[in-house]
Amino acid sequence: MIGFMKTYVRHIDRMNFLIGRVVMYGIFVMMGILLWSSISKTFFLPSLWTLEMAQFAMVAYYMLGGPYSIQMGSNVRMDLLYGEWSDNRKAQVDAITVMFLIVYLAFLLWGGWDSLMYSFQYGGERSSSVWRPYLWPVKSIMVVGIFLMLLQAISEFFKDILRIQGHDMGPKDVDETRLTNGEENA
Amino acid sequence: MSYEAIAILMFSSMMLMLLTGQRVFGAIGFVAVVAAFFLWGDRGGYDLGFAAAMKLMKWYPLLTLPMFIFMGYILSESKIADDLYRMFHVWMGGLSGGLAVGTIGLMVLISAMNGLSVAGMAIGATIALPELLRRGYDKVMVTGVIQAGSSLGILVPPSVVLVLYAMIARQPVGQLWLAGILPGLMMAGLFIIYIVIRCWMNPKLGPVLPKEDRDIPLGEKLKLLSAGLLPLFIFFAMMIPFVNGWTSLVESSAIGAIAAFAAAVAKGRMTRRVFETSVRKTLGISCMFMWIILAALAFGAVFDGLGAVKAIEGLFTERLGLSPWMILILMQLSFILLGTFLDDTAMLVIVAPLYVPLVGALGFDLIWYGVLYTITCQIAYMTPPFGYNLFLMRAMAPPEITLRDIYTSIAPFVLVMALALTLVMIFPQIALWLPNTVYGN
Repeated sequence: MIGFMKTYVRHIDRMNFLIGRVVMYGIFVMMGILLWSSISKTFFLPSLWTLEMAQFAMVAYYMLGGPYSIQMGSNVRMDLLYGEWSDNRKAQVDAITVMFLIVYLAFLLWGGWDSLMYSFQYGGERSSSVWRPYLWPVKSIMVVGIFLMLLQAISEFFKDILRIQGHDMGPKDVDETRLTNGEENA
Repeated sequence: MSYEAIAILMFSSMMLMLLTGQRVFGAIGFVAVVAAFFLWGDRGGYDLGFAAAMKLMKWYPLLTLPMFIFMGYILSESKIADDLYRMFHVWMGGLSGGLAVGTIGLMVLISAMNGLSVAGMAIGATIALPELLRRGYDKVMVTGVIQAGSSLGILVPPSVVLVLYAMIARQPVGQLWLAGILPGLMMAGLFIIYIVIRCWMNPKLGPVLPKEDRDIPLGEKLKLLSAGLLPLFIFFAMMIPFVNGWTSLVESSAIGAIAAFAAAVAKGRMTRRVFETSVRKTLGISCMFMWIILAALAFGAVFDGLGAVKAIEGLFTERLGLSPWMILILMQLSFILLGTFLDDTAMLVIVAPLYVPLVGALGFDLIWYGVLYTITCQIAYMTPPFGYNLFLMRAMAPPEITLRDIYTSIAPFVLVMALALTLVMIFPQIALWLPNTVYGN
């Protein structure tokens, strides 16, 4: 079991890290689309597709980048009590409360999957805008993103279990790129 | 169970879960989806969480969020605002307390270039603070100056907090931003008055720069003024196309991000490390915001479905017989109280879906309340035991600034901010005049 959890954590963390490292450059995709939108609007005919394309890009950005943000510890916690606890205590409480997160993500996935299946029916669901893009591509990205979040949440759960059992799983909620970069603080 | 009881149960279980220290979005989202599931079952209840994701996607102004976050990180990581500090330093140094006054000016300019308080904090704590200390300024006062000044970042446009508020209150972002300008400048003015009076009563707090430091040839002085061109360039690159109607707000935010990026490249500050750090942190903070809003939208949707707002309004007005103004004042007080214990983003999410519709139901102007809301957020940012600014300050400030200094430094500034809050409450025109004039309402 220990071996399985360690393997799981290693692979999932690695995968989500790599995805996050690619997706983080999505900010430039959004910038590019919006810049093109302003240029085409000012000098040529306004593009119909830019608005929704930028929205899709943003969804992909935060859905697929979400797991990496968990790894970096970007997600705020209320640290009124939490901040005072020892690392072991944090791991113990987190191992239980991470179930909130897992349940929430499971519900998101359920709703998302249903909505995705619906989008394939009746010749494919389309957006109601002038451009009328199909909705299944962006919904697929959302479902994949939520699924990756779920995998990452389970990885966090395993890490806490392993920590409680005395394994060294690295510091909690710490952005490791930051450490290798030698940055000293927020 | 009555709907009020369900609403109260939801709210208290969320507070309890937040106390366990789990990620805020997980706790809020959990309460929302579980409540929806039990209320409306697998027909319409289970997909509430995902429906919020679709709603979030369709809300166009949210695209400004990653843009402004990126801009803020470019500014703080590349340190292109260094010259700005030097400009204020040379021009204001001759006054007693002048450097502190100049620091407030610096903070206003930085606020006009980004939407969070982090950039102002980083620049203030790493560039201005050591310099002020070296010149013998009182450490408690200048620590407060930097914290109070950087909090202007969320009130002066572009403001990320107002974008989030706009989403929850369903109000236009453009008007909210315009509404933030005068109160922001007024607050900066009040800070300056406070500093000047303190230093006039006790000149030791902010000594005048020695003569040799001030004897800079006029040509040199004028040259330093050109540092002020940078914020003007970024600000106008964003605002001119927007005000002329060439681009939308969102497109302007992208132009602003590109302008900041170009400025950093032109100044030779865009190193590999700065680039990587800004891109990575932008992802982290954007995801943090997006996932919290996602969970909060679901939570708000359940509250809407319950008619909880009507119930709470009824409780206050009919059963307790309070006037709208008394409720508003009680709300602001409880908001500040909550803010001292809660993390600012958590508060934004917990308080907004509950308070904002109530304010609307009581018949108040939601643009005006957006400004009150933001000022209250600023106060909450700064107040111990938990304030985002406090932690940032502790992480960034030079070692001679103790936690105790940081805590004591904010007291007078919080009072000044409370004064500003009261003024905007009594005279709504401070906030509303500009948007009304521009939009010709």
